[in-house]
Amino acid sequence: MILRGLLYVGNEPSKDSETAKPIQGVPNPTYEWMGLTNEWGIRVKPGEHGLRLGDVNVGIYGEVPERWEDQTRRPRGALPRPGIPPLPYSLRSKHEMWADCAANLYEEAIQRRWIPATEVPWDLLAELPEDVERSVCQICTELSQCANTELEIITYWQDQMSYGYFEVKQYLATATFDCARHLEVLRKRALSNGGGLGLESRGRVNRMILESSGGWTEAVVYLYLLRGTYLTRLLAGLLEYAHNDAESYIYSHMLEDHARHLTYGYDHLKYAATHHKGGAAIMRTLLAIGEGMFAAEIEDPIVKSAMAIIFGGGIEGGRTFGMERYLLLIREFLQDYLELCSWLGVDREETLHPKLKQYLEI
Amino acid sequence: MSEAIDMQEQHELDTSWMEKMGEWGAKATPGKRGLTLDDIKVGSYGDLPKNSDNMTGRPRGATARPDAYRVGAYSVHTLSEIWLENAEFLYEEALQRQWSSATDVPWHTLKPLPDAVEEAECLLCTFFNEVEFVAGDVPARWIAKTTPDYLEARNVLSAQVMDEARHMDVFRKRALANGGGLMRMSGATSGFVGSIDLARDFTEMSTRLHISGEGAVLTMFRMGELFGQNDAEKTMYRLCAQDEARHVAFGVMHLRFMGATAPERCEEIECYLDEAEDQLLAGQQNPAGTQSETSEALAILLGGGVEQYDEGHRKLLVIRRRQLKEYMKRVISAGFSTRFENGRSPIPAAYASTN
Repeated sequence: MILRGLLYVGNEPSKDSETAKPIQGVPNPTYEWMGLTNEWGIRVKPGEHGLRLGDVNVGIYGEVPERWEDQTRRPRGALPRPGIPPLPYSLRSKHEMWADCAANLYEEAIQRRWIPATEVPWDLLAELPEDVERSVCQICTELSQCANTELEIITYWQDQMSYGYFEVKQYLATATFDCARHLEVLRKRALSNGGGLGLESRGRVNRMILESSGGWTEAVVYLYLLRGTYLTRLLAGLLEYAHNDAESYIYSHMLEDHARHLTYGYDHLKYAATHHKGGAAIMRTLLAIGEGMFAAEIEDPIVKSAMAIIFGGGIEGGRTFGMERYLLLIREFLQDYLELCSWLGVDREETLHPKLKQYLEI
Repeated sequence: MSEAIDMQEQHELDTSWMEKMGEWGAKATPGKRGLTLDDIKVGSYGDLPKNSDNMTGRPRGATARPDAYRVGAYSVHTLSEIWLENAEFLYEEALQRQWSSATDVPWHTLKPLPDAVEEAECLLCTFFNEVEFVAGDVPARWIAKTTPDYLEARNVLSAQVMDEARHMDVFRKRALANGGGLMRMSGATSGFVGSIDLARDFTEMSTRLHISGEGAVLTMFRMGELFGQNDAEKTMYRLCAQDEARHVAFGVMHLRFMGATAPERCEEIECYLDEAEDQLLAGQQNPAGTQSETSEALAILLGGGVEQYDEGHRKLLVIRRRQLKEYMKRVISAGFSTRFENGRSPIPAAYASTN
């Protein structure tokens, strides 16, 4: 601790200044707070992208400890104050939430913000054949529930994360907002072209994600590695087969947001797998269970059929090309997934759930 | 791909769900502000249940499936508990008014300040870095507890979580960008009874957070023109004030809705306001409060240096006075004016004494 403000403590103007005329009723300042700092003299300058969150990680302010015992809201690098009652921060180890990219993703999310109300060219929505419109609306309903699950699991964990890892909390705030925007834009799309919402999801994978209450990392395994990787392919497919510029705008921007979410998720899992003894083994166990749930979910005919109809341009096309295209989507997802698992050190190729394996053999 | 055709039996197209979808024929059209959340409250999709039985997380208006899992143990499932009439407007405004602390604050206008002034600014920034995200952490928790049938209110809270992250960030950046550093934490928002964190009811939380805590901070941010030492700081406070005004509006409008739709809870709310007013006058959560060390820092900033402390303190009194006045206006607007007339609230007397 540096006591650099003592100069003023003994130099209160109302006492020492002979020329100053004290104003009646003004309490004498104590200046007890002056000089109470861990590190002084920090002068970070903005770079070509402005003054970014990661830029101010200098000196002690950039030191991210493996364990953050402080259960108050003390900003990292600030001096503690004794006697502050704790808050229930249950995640206090770096491996439980950290990703090196969090600060950059936070800034990127802000730079890439978008506004569904005014930036989506809604006037370019055109009437679609009813079977296609119904399929688009059904997918919007399904994706809404995925976004809702992501929103609920993030906000469940967010306030349990220690202030020592504020970059992650801040990044997750952007993800929270992204999810809200996805809920908004999907609802807007479903209700603006002569359609409506569809059937709710059975929610097998949503339940699995929401019940991951053992830790945030466990939730990330299901939310991003398994479901998120699948959603990327789904959104890319929707973008490829978008019916107009309004849909293209929606899906491309959702994909951008989603890519950030996955970047965080994968980066965090890599960190957890390499910095937490036994972390990779836990992931492997979770995935063995999760793959079965996921396989059951994608067997549900509703999403499969709706996507096939979108790809096939209608029911007839959906029966042939559309379904083939959807099955290809699943295969591509599984290839991505296996590659990611291998990168994380939780190889799943040999032990992939048999019901998923069959999609690779198509 | 020929084997895929062989799999047709397993992957046969099923269209039976098409007959079970929600209300059909919704065609919301964009207005002059684009296609807003308000515009899509068409047909039954605009019907808000007074009590939500949605336990599966389905979007409002989607068809329920009998075999869906009950994943949502939503403790906030009554409209009066969380609703406000202008949620759609506040959410859309939040989207329109997002800003970037990296690029929208003219950081190049920061210039070296006298040591005491820099320390005062850094103390204030430490305080805000510490407390701003209470308003992110806590609303986030309530999003997860609220039924998705009240999507619009949840989305406003999601926008608030984003805003508060940016506030936490901008004050940290300021503290570390002009030759200073972070200082000692205040501990203003910690785990004690009556704190924002520990509220077990949404309206109780909102009263403490939106009406009292953020209300006091909003007044301060609005006075940033007075104590900001350069354009960077003035911009920072001005942009934060825009965000904070939406959060306070949420609290006022929610309280108004709750008072009108659940009058049996009004006395309970009065009790929360009693506590909130104690905090407003003297509590550590108000950076301009009589017992907050940030008040000394503010006096230095308002005066322009330690030599002008007394002058700065006089301006601080103006801020406190304005805090009280604005607080009363909000509570009156929320429909709880009687407390200022029947002697229950200490605020009118405190306000009168600042004359």
